[in-house]
Amino acid sequence: MASESGKFINIKVKRQDGPDSAPYWEEFNIPYKPNMNVVSVLMEVRKNPVNAQGKAVNPVVWECNCLEEVCGACTMLINGVPRQACAALIDKIYDQTGFGKQIVLAPLTKFPIIRDLTINRDRMFENLKRVKAWVPVDGSWAIARGPRVPDREQQWAYIISRCMTCGCCQEACPNVSNKSKFIGPSHIAQVRLFNTHPIGEMHKEDRLDALMLEGGIQECGNAQNCRKVCPKEIPLTNHIAFMNKETFKYAVRSWRTK
Amino acid sequence: MDKKSNFLIRRIHSLLAIIPIGIFLLFHLSLNTTVFWGSANYEAVINFMKTMPLVWALELIIIFIPLLVHAVYGIWIVYVAKNNVLDYKYGANWAFYLQRITALITVVFLVFHVYLQRFMVHEAADVISGLTGYLQNPLFFALYALGLLAAVYHFCNGLFTFLISWGITIGDHSQKICRGISLVLFVVMGVWGVGILTAIAGF
Repeated sequence: MASESGKFINIKVKRQDGPDSAPYWEEFNIPYKPNMNVVSVLMEVRKNPVNAQGKAVNPVVWECNCLEEVCGACTMLINGVPRQACAALIDKIYDQTGFGKQIVLAPLTKFPIIRDLTINRDRMFENLKRVKAWVPVDGSWAIARGPRVPDREQQWAYIISRCMTCGCCQEACPNVSNKSKFIGPSHIAQVRLFNTHPIGEMHKEDRLDALMLEGGIQECGNAQNCRKVCPKEIPLTNHIAFMNKETFKYAVRSWRTK
Repeated sequence: MDKKSNFLIRRIHSLLAIIPIGIFLLFHLSLNTTVFWGSANYEAVINFMKTMPLVWALELIIIFIPLLVHAVYGIWIVYVAKNNVLDYKYGANWAFYLQRITALITVVFLVFHVYLQRFMVHEAADVISGLTGYLQNPLFFALYALGLLAAVYHFCNGLFTFLISWGITIGDHSQKICRGISLVLFVVMGVWGVGILTAIAGF
């Protein structure tokens, strides 16, 4: 590592001063240290906000929170790939691209931009409310222990429960765009998670109804990018296929019993 | 279900592609296979088909209306997608993109195909002799084969995604097997279709 002291990490950031202003690119050179991640590089920019041309500028604005890839707040495009900045280790990136190669940071493109790398993810949270992605057990008195979930269901349900609504799957999905209202892959898997839970199951019709509204599961075009980019390795395409079966069965049953 | 939802139309769009359009495509290729045994053979089969009662109603209900519904709504689906194959170079994403490209090629091909071989001339003998003349032009042959291959790809890849969209293939294993079957089917139907064109060009 000694040979790498005195070297710089070169980053190029897609910046935007406000929701309606024009985007522009800006480069920064940060002194290299081993074991950095994209978050710590951006923190260095904040300490000394001088761009590659030596001009003092406003520090780059971004969001981060947990720093261990469980909250999703620092999701951005890193060299064109949607992923969490905290889990993007500089040395690992250089292993692939070569030491010192420029690292390009950009905000996700499927969400409104607030400033620089900070985006507005309200749409995803509103859609989680729409599909009722929770188990409704809150009451004013203690109730008995809930039913147990069989081990074979826990195995796959746990993996869905790791979803942090980071937006990577929405970013990669060609059918999530400003021309469609598709709620996106993550939310379809969430419906399966809460419809499988023995208590959540009591509201499964509500979730299936929500999944068949405008922008629902029918908007999936099977491009299958969602699964490739999911940082939590949720097999979204399998869950979408399963929910395709469930919504179809539910549609037929609703029609027959109407 | 909400009245505004497109769930029903998306499922109808998907179903029509297999029943009846996909079945018709296989039937159409099967009938045309008779050209391998000479143009007289082909003409005899087509003339027999025309003796079927209410053949115009069958054409309308089994072919024209389903194709029109599938094409019109399908063009909307093509418009809505924001393709990103250059950013996400995965096989399935390319298949998704090609499904939309071949959709548009197939629409153009079918308009041309139906005009040329159904409305401009309708007698079996005229259809075959006219087509023989056109297909001897290498450029026409290439464009015609491209249209045919686009339609065949759209059907075979569509069959694979149909199985997912209806929740028939759910797990990785079944999806992988059906992806393979869809590819083999594409090769078989592609060779079959171009073989028919080659036979007609040789008359």
